[in-house]
Amino acid sequence: MPSWQDFQPFLVTGLALGGVYALSGVGLVVLYQATGVVYLAFGAVGAMGALITWSMISDGIANWLCWLACLAFSGVVTLAYGITFGPLLAKRDPLVKATATLGLLLVLFGVMDLLWTTSGGESRAITLPTDNGGFSIAQIQVTWTQVIGLAVGVVIAAGTAAFLRYTKLGTAMRAMANDREITATLGVPVRRVEAAAWLGCGLLAGVAGLLLADMVALDATTLTFLVISSLAAALIARLRSIALTFAAAIVIGVVQNMLVPINAVSNYNDMTPFVLAAIALLVLSRRQVLSRAREDT
Amino acid sequence: MRTTTAFMAIIAGAALALAGCGSSPSKPSSTSSTTPPTSSTAVKTSDCGTKPGVKATGTPIALGGIVTDQSGTSFTDIANMAADYFTCVNDNGGINGHPIKYYIETEQTNPTQIAADAKQLVDTDHVLGIVGNTSIIECSVDSSYWQKLGYYIIDSGIAPECYSTPNSAAVNMGPRYSSDGAVQYALAQHVSKIVFDQSNVPGTGYIAAGPNALAKAAHVAIQQLTENVPISNADSVAIKEVDDAGPNGAVILNFTPPEALVILQAAQKLNIEDHVKLWGCSTPCNTDFLAASLGPKWNDKLFVNAELTPPDFTNTPTMNLYKDIYQQYGTSGPNKVTGGIGSFSQMGFTEAEIAVHALESIKGAYTVASVNAAFKGVTNFNTGMLCQLWTYGSYPMHIPNNEDYTVTPDNGKMATKQGCTQISPVDPQIAAYRKDAGTAALAPPLSTP
Repeated sequence: MPSWQDFQPFLVTGLALGGVYALSGVGLVVLYQATGVVYLAFGAVGAMGALITWSMISDGIANWLCWLACLAFSGVVTLAYGITFGPLLAKRDPLVKATATLGLLLVLFGVMDLLWTTSGGESRAITLPTDNGGFSIAQIQVTWTQVIGLAVGVVIAAGTAAFLRYTKLGTAMRAMANDREITATLGVPVRRVEAAAWLGCGLLAGVAGLLLADMVALDATTLTFLVISSLAAALIARLRSIALTFAAAIVIGVVQNMLVPINAVSNYNDMTPFVLAAIALLVLSRRQVLSRAREDT
Repeated sequence: MRTTTAFMAIIAGAALALAGCGSSPSKPSSTSSTTPPTSSTAVKTSDCGTKPGVKATGTPIALGGIVTDQSGTSFTDIANMAADYFTCVNDNGGINGHPIKYYIETEQTNPTQIAADAKQLVDTDHVLGIVGNTSIIECSVDSSYWQKLGYYIIDSGIAPECYSTPNSAAVNMGPRYSSDGAVQYALAQHVSKIVFDQSNVPGTGYIAAGPNALAKAAHVAIQQLTENVPISNADSVAIKEVDDAGPNGAVILNFTPPEALVILQAAQKLNIEDHVKLWGCSTPCNTDFLAASLGPKWNDKLFVNAELTPPDFTNTPTMNLYKDIYQQYGTSGPNKVTGGIGSFSQMGFTEAEIAVHALESIKGAYTVASVNAAFKGVTNFNTGMLCQLWTYGSYPMHIPNNEDYTVTPDNGKMATKQGCTQISPVDPQIAAYRKDAGTAALAPPLSTP
């Protein structure tokens, strides 16, 4: 069994990755609360944005413009999907709405494979200016990108929680989460609120796509399905609590990476999001059953 | 509703335009991956055939190949380069006027699918020979089928059966012997520990057995690791490898280029690439894409086992033909070689070259029997791409390529660090093959133009 000192670098990488999972998870939760849609195409949108960024950088365009293009693409595609299919599927149950986003995922996945084929030996990479700088904490090297990954997760989670509590738009989103119909009859422009949620989620997908492309890999498949880790965090929070989503995401990132130095289980670390989500849902369901049983008696 | 539809159409069009304008599928991440032919500025591919400029129009000679193409592992470049070579031959006279029709089947490491692909090639496509197979498990699945039908495969081997059965002869060494070569080089640099990391796919035990034997014979500790691919936590993987190897150790990777790249780049970002004595990699890392993506920090830091002659600084007719065929046929179209100049496309070229050489020796009709007899009859052929002369032969096992190079990144290209070196007979499979087949002679260098 590795020593605590051996685990420390993995704690750092886990926190950084957990931070990015957190910002993705927060985006998923806010969108679900406002629209009732579990946005399974979150990863694919960010992945395609990152690939567009890579292509533009390869063409010699200024980096900051390329990053903005990623955000713009992710925001626009998500918004377009939301305002087109959101109203059409508004009255359908959440499973149908989630499945519909799978359609967008598959379309984007196909386009990415067509434009940036994953066949053959081509290797692509995005590097951010913060990759080459950093500092040491007790002989552990920490890059500024890793710091940004965690910091962005913290800021987005805290900022979103504050936004939902203290702003008019945030209050409207919370109201829609409770009851869309009543919110509409009270004169809240529900379509506009939904559009804002879609756009915000899309922008977060772009940020997550860029960070994950740098921290993990610039690969369409990898980035598309990394949404599963964020989704696991959101599910643990029952798609309700921003704070719990953040905490769950950090735990998933840390546990997943802390398993790496343990040779006996290292190859199973990819199961971490599934296992933790399954355990959490079982525990929470059991608590619900028990509390209902107590109410009945 | 109409307004929404129009808006959606505009947004979709703008998004696709942005993606289309931004995408440059043929461009690498940094500097150009292609090495222009050094013999001349014009592309000259007519040398691939016997009648330059004359398209072959006779009855096609059908050949087939099966390659793995799945997330994290894709060998389509090998089959595509073979296809490009055959297209070049067809554009320049064919085989005595007959064009080669090449069928490529891709698979995702599913035994049922692979067996079906083999039957498709034989029963539906009526292929006379199999060339260009590169698959994680195809040799294991189909070797008895090919033996039963009398097909002698020319392939790029991976699974043990590609090297241990009578009906398969590879142009490469495969992951085991190529990893042997990388470990051998590290041991020669007097490292005190080897960390050998590879993809977690079928066959890891077989692959690891070679490096294990070499390290044990040299009394050097070796640690075996595997990673699920595609790798989603490269930072952690790099840290683990470096920690396990130690400052006087070596990390040897056996991954396809995209996966090896994420690990090496993670090590660089974390500034830990110098925390080990050296990094090594098996042949898939031998590609200009990787050298260009890594940058100068890896010059003389990463040592790659090159199963085929390094292309970047080699100026011979065969190497220039390979580069010319890639330029003319491999940069776009249905058989695009996305990895560019490098080991994978070299393997495809060499397999096709051997097949064409064999086909040209056939005097009568082109049948399964005559084509496979010709493949098996290839003896002491100088491919211009390998250290040794290449022989198929009638042996119970085949490792015809068992001597190769070590290369290192040199400012965006791969340069030779160590010339032709035999893979050590400490690996029992190498010893067994040499007992039957002897040691092939070194291929004399083909004259430079």
